[in-house]
Amino acid sequence: MALSDAEVARYSRQLLLPAMGEEGQERLRGARVRVAGGGAAAAPALQYLAASGVGTIWIDDPEPIEAGDGAGWMFGPADVGRPRAAAAAEAVRDASGLVRADVMRLGVRPTVVLACGASADVSRAVAEEARLLQLPHVVAEVDGEGGAVTVVPVGAPCHACAARPGLGADPTPAGAAVTGALAALELVLLVTGAVQPPVGRRIEIFRGTPLARTTVRQPGCACGAAAAPRAGPGPAAP
Amino acid sequence: MGGTLSGKSALVIGAGGLGGPVLLALAASGVGRLVLLDDDAVETSNLNRQPLFGEADLGRRKADAAAARLRRLHPGIRVEAHDRRFDAVNGAEIAVSVDVIVDGSDNFATKFLASDVAVGARKPLVHGGVLRYTAQLLTVVPGQSGCLRCLFEEPPAPGTVPTCAEAGIIGPLAGLAGSLMGAEALRLLAGERGAYMGRLVVYEARSARTRLVPVRKRIGCPACEGRLGSAGPARDPVTEVESSRTRGTA
Amino acid sequence: MRPDAHIDVREQACPLTWVRTRIALGRLAPGAVLEVLLREGEPLDNVPRTAVEDGHRVVRLEAAPAEGRGSWRVWLERGAPREEATWP
Repeated sequence: MALSDAEVARYSRQLLLPAMGEEGQERLRGARVRVAGGGAAAAPALQYLAASGVGTIWIDDPEPIEAGDGAGWMFGPADVGRPRAAAAAEAVRDASGLVRADVMRLGVRPTVVLACGASADVSRAVAEEARLLQLPHVVAEVDGEGGAVTVVPVGAPCHACAARPGLGADPTPAGAAVTGALAALELVLLVTGAVQPPVGRRIEIFRGTPLARTTVRQPGCACGAAAAPRAGPGPAAP
Repeated sequence: MGGTLSGKSALVIGAGGLGGPVLLALAASGVGRLVLLDDDAVETSNLNRQPLFGEADLGRRKADAAAARLRRLHPGIRVEAHDRRFDAVNGAEIAVSVDVIVDGSDNFATKFLASDVAVGARKPLVHGGVLRYTAQLLTVVPGQSGCLRCLFEEPPAPGTVPTCAEAGIIGPLAGLAGSLMGAEALRLLAGERGAYMGRLVVYEARSARTRLVPVRKRIGCPACEGRLGSAGPARDPVTEVESSRTRGTA
Repeated sequence: MRPDAHIDVREQACPLTWVRTRIALGRLAPGAVLEVLLREGEPLDNVPRTAVEDGHRVVRLEAAPAEGRGSWRVWLERGAPREEATWP
């Protein structure tokens, strides 16, 4: 479906870009993104996904808001105690009436997954589930003032193959914003097809400097075997 | 939250695509006083990349809307929002009272002015810019590292800079650049050496390639050698032309 | 030769003049011709030049006073889509 006048006005600055245009914007609108995990990068990532014109966002996060959540992007002290996913969905809808944002529920069919887990275990679980469902996915892991973003197009080496130890530092608001924005950026590039060919990569930001590597399959990893049959999506691991 | 940063202050030029994430990072990290300058109003086309504003803010003055958003997220925060364009006079005045200047402006004239003001006031400056798929970052520590005029001898001539019809910008890349600028400002405020001091970091988003360009103090740089005039930065004819309407992106 | 499609961007503010033109071009097959009505000044200075930079061809450019004062007509031939490998 062609872009409406409202969409052209809203997205005019990105419609000017090479490799983006009406087709790229329509791909964004057609994308259904499951954002799983309430890690620090989620709020900035959600802001930028909504701003870019992702059509549907499901937020998969069972926890209530604690002080400091959202990296200071989405929630104030008055929001503490509210269910985080519902509050985030509301914030996304306030940011853009062109985006449909809701709390994740059974039966929906995302087309791409953004893993923003607060821990390495959650990231690994969400990434593995997305891989088994043959969904392209992006994993955001905050590490101190920086972090790492892993991009896994369908069939690419999995997140576990690409994972590397970081500093293991507590997330900071700046690191969450850097990692969340980069994750949203990679997801937009993936969905619009602006990067060709779509090869898996991992981008680490340490002391303000990004460093990207093509991901490489580890010998014997299950991600190299034939894909498992499709199963329905379920709620994120706690 | 708080601690050593509660006694620190920052000037942020622009509250849009770059300045927005900068302000959010500084606010969330407990910087004690934020001063922001933006003389624009919120427009529809801003909303693909400016996180301080939502649909309800359309038509509102950015300085106003930015301050309101920051106060809602961080009640009690000290924000001084000025609905004014950064210029040589107000820039020099404000620079005296802050610990760092972060330049989120969207045109080369202002970027050069910010560098000149920082050098004149001997305050560190975090410079950033985004155009299409490329972001660049540089930190200027007056007396220690090169300034924008050391790197680019003068602002680009009119016509060599993309006009508003040619420039394009993708929201999350502005968010990445602005957040990196905010993180760098926080490092400087904490007394650490900047990651971008003396080197321009250029990131191309599609190839995910990072380039580092050394920026040394240039012998003959009029800003670093204090030859821009005692009243502040020189009135450069190119600067005047560029100031008449914003060009470039942020 | 007659154009295959037509767009009037005289009421648009920069950069929507070029954005809408680019979208209209994107909907055409390579080699097809888009007629654009635009105003003199910034649109006339920017749109044809930017179209060429984006890979299209200007096949006609003339004042169109019959359409209204300050109106210009430009015919743009849609260029071939550019395949760029951008990674690694």
